[in-house]
Amino acid sequence: MELFRNADLDFLGKKWRFILPSLALIVVGLGSIVAQHGLLYSIDFKSGTQTEIRWDGTPPIEKIRSAISSKLQGVTVVAAHGTGGSNEVIVSTALSREENVTAVRQTIESALSSITNSYSIRDFELIGPQVSEDLRHQAGMATAGASGGMLLYLSYRFRLGYAVAAVLAMAHDAVITVGLFSLLHQEISLTVVAALLTLIGYSMNDTIVVFDRVRENRRAQPRAPLAGVINRSINQTLSRTVLTSGLTLLTALSLLFFGGPVLHGFSLVLAIGIVVGTFSSVYIASPFLLAWDRRFGRETLSGGLR
Amino acid sequence: MNKMLLRKSLLIVAIAVAAVLVLLRKPLSLGLDLRGGTSLILRVNVEGTSSERIREAVEQTRQILEKRVNAYGLSETSIQRYGSQGNELLVQVPGVGDLSRVKGLLQSRGLLEWYSVEGGPYSTPADAAAEFGGVVPYSDKLMATKQSGERMWYVLRSQPVIRGTDLRDARTAVDSTERPVTTFDLTADAAARFQKYTAANIGKRSAIVLDGKILSVPVIEDVIRDSGEIRGAKTVQEAEDLAVELRSGALPASIELMQQHTVEASLGTDSVHRGLIAGAAGLAAVVATMLLYYRWAGANATLALALNGLLLLAALSCFGAVLTMPGIAGVVLTIGMAVDSNVLIFERIREELRTGKSVSAALGAGFYKAFATLVDTHVTTVVSCLFLFSFGTPPVKGFATTLLLGLVTNLFTSVFVSRVAFDWELAMQGRTAKLNLGMSG
Repeated sequence: MELFRNADLDFLGKKWRFILPSLALIVVGLGSIVAQHGLLYSIDFKSGTQTEIRWDGTPPIEKIRSAISSKLQGVTVVAAHGTGGSNEVIVSTALSREENVTAVRQTIESALSSITNSYSIRDFELIGPQVSEDLRHQAGMATAGASGGMLLYLSYRFRLGYAVAAVLAMAHDAVITVGLFSLLHQEISLTVVAALLTLIGYSMNDTIVVFDRVRENRRAQPRAPLAGVINRSINQTLSRTVLTSGLTLLTALSLLFFGGPVLHGFSLVLAIGIVVGTFSSVYIASPFLLAWDRRFGRETLSGGLR
Repeated sequence: MNKMLLRKSLLIVAIAVAAVLVLLRKPLSLGLDLRGGTSLILRVNVEGTSSERIREAVEQTRQILEKRVNAYGLSETSIQRYGSQGNELLVQVPGVGDLSRVKGLLQSRGLLEWYSVEGGPYSTPADAAAEFGGVVPYSDKLMATKQSGERMWYVLRSQPVIRGTDLRDARTAVDSTERPVTTFDLTADAAARFQKYTAANIGKRSAIVLDGKILSVPVIEDVIRDSGEIRGAKTVQEAEDLAVELRSGALPASIELMQQHTVEASLGTDSVHRGLIAGAAGLAAVVATMLLYYRWAGANATLALALNGLLLLAALSCFGAVLTMPGIAGVVLTIGMAVDSNVLIFERIREELRTGKSVSAALGAGFYKAFATLVDTHVTTVVSCLFLFSFGTPPVKGFATTLLLGLVTNLFTSVFVSRVAFDWELAMQGRTAKLNLGMSG
């Protein structure tokens, strides 16, 4: 089987058809974040406790809420989404600095015992305020560090223009993914941040394959106009781009559908990000490369192979 | 037959066999999120800022806590230093058991002191001060009893008669009224001091203080030399835990619970189950697509993929990595990313074939040209992976480790193994060799 055997599509000419929806997605996503007063963080980043409880029969959510609310602050009780049936509830509580953190679990258990004895706690997580502060800090540092590291490596392997274009596409993917997360009311947890970091690495890969070809074609025909070279490079790598993204998307989707609630946020980031990342290497990174060339001149992009 | 090819094939077989042996000898260990258990992060509140001092105190704390969990029969528990500031400990307790008891054992400081009582009990600190004309004297201090119900206050001498370091041993016993007590022995030096003190104070009261709270206020009935007894434990268990705490020695600083994650074993089993299904589904989808698209070469990629999976698991076992749920996600994701390299190479070979090159020339050029791209894509993923390690929490670390090792094994299987497989295909066919890459025409 062969896809796009002699593809000759004018990607750069039709770039606005994709950049505009992309911008719209960014605006809608950021708007959603602003409208909801920031992102929805999991307890990893805001401290508190989260308890997953399996009930014998349908859990009386209202009863549970009032029983725990009378003893602890910031209580939310929701039915667990996804697999495992509807017999599971997730109870979240806030944690204040003064509270005796050691006793929170016992408090929850005694509140539940006042309703029934036929429940089991499957998962209990407690994050102190100091930890969540540290994690927020680390998440920011790790994302900035990873982006900076890639910028450095790419400017070394290619030229600055390529590096900036790739990092821009990567930021585009991350912003859209986070925006969609906000739109879908998904929590940002530590594993979601891990997935985002993986994603920016992956999104980079996609862009590099195209840029690698651009660089190669430029060396073969130094006098050819850059727009043509970029278009040809995208077409040459098109079947590979579609196939690799498709295959990685398949594994991300199998994690999303079969991996269970623990991996839900993680695989959702990857599934969204892989799709967005594929488009961005073609419609964000490549046009930017051309724009950079027009602004700063060809010599900043020529050569550059070590 | 080509000697070089034979040698390369033997190398691959040897590596595969070694990987299988490694996995048989040392199967992958599962993280607490997969087999059930509790992980705690404790902060050691060391006073002062000198990093030398913090390190010392944290290490001392770690050793004392280790003694305590061993005494409790939780020998599988691991206690490691943790965190960027070096003042935290990561405690991993497999299984659940009586968690609040374990937490109490880990967090209580175990600092025992024996004071002489100057006055009390009072129901409020103000009452106590009033007794002494408004201010508690400089040489004395005010302390409360442990019971949270009706808390009473006593005025004690500032200097304790005995402190934690004076203890030699502690055990449990039953007193004359059949109630559990904790008994302790004193060092020779402290015994002499204690004998002198009790002889001079018969009939007076003294206070036994644990971690800054008064446990009991016994009246000194006789001269005590080198051993004492602490009453007031409600259960044998409580008396035992106190004995363990006293025996292991007092912690150099107080301890604070920062983070706790408890996973029930059945949830862990569910997670493993789900991970396996997700992995199988992802693998099946990828292999089916590769076979459909690349025909025979798809089988080549499948071989590389299988070997990649085997090597990755063996490498994880070698490095003593622990498989966590995000780690399983890393393995599944590696399947998708590993096959990317094969696609990149195959597409390149197809292109070379289209330009009319001979089969072996196209193979050589395809692998050569794809290699530079592969290095770049792998390095960028490694960069983002390295920053994942900065988080340090076991699940995320597990993910980063799998991803990183997966990248390394992938480079080997997609470039080296896959090439050898192609070379075999050509060698078997002889001079009129053709490659089946699923191309039409």
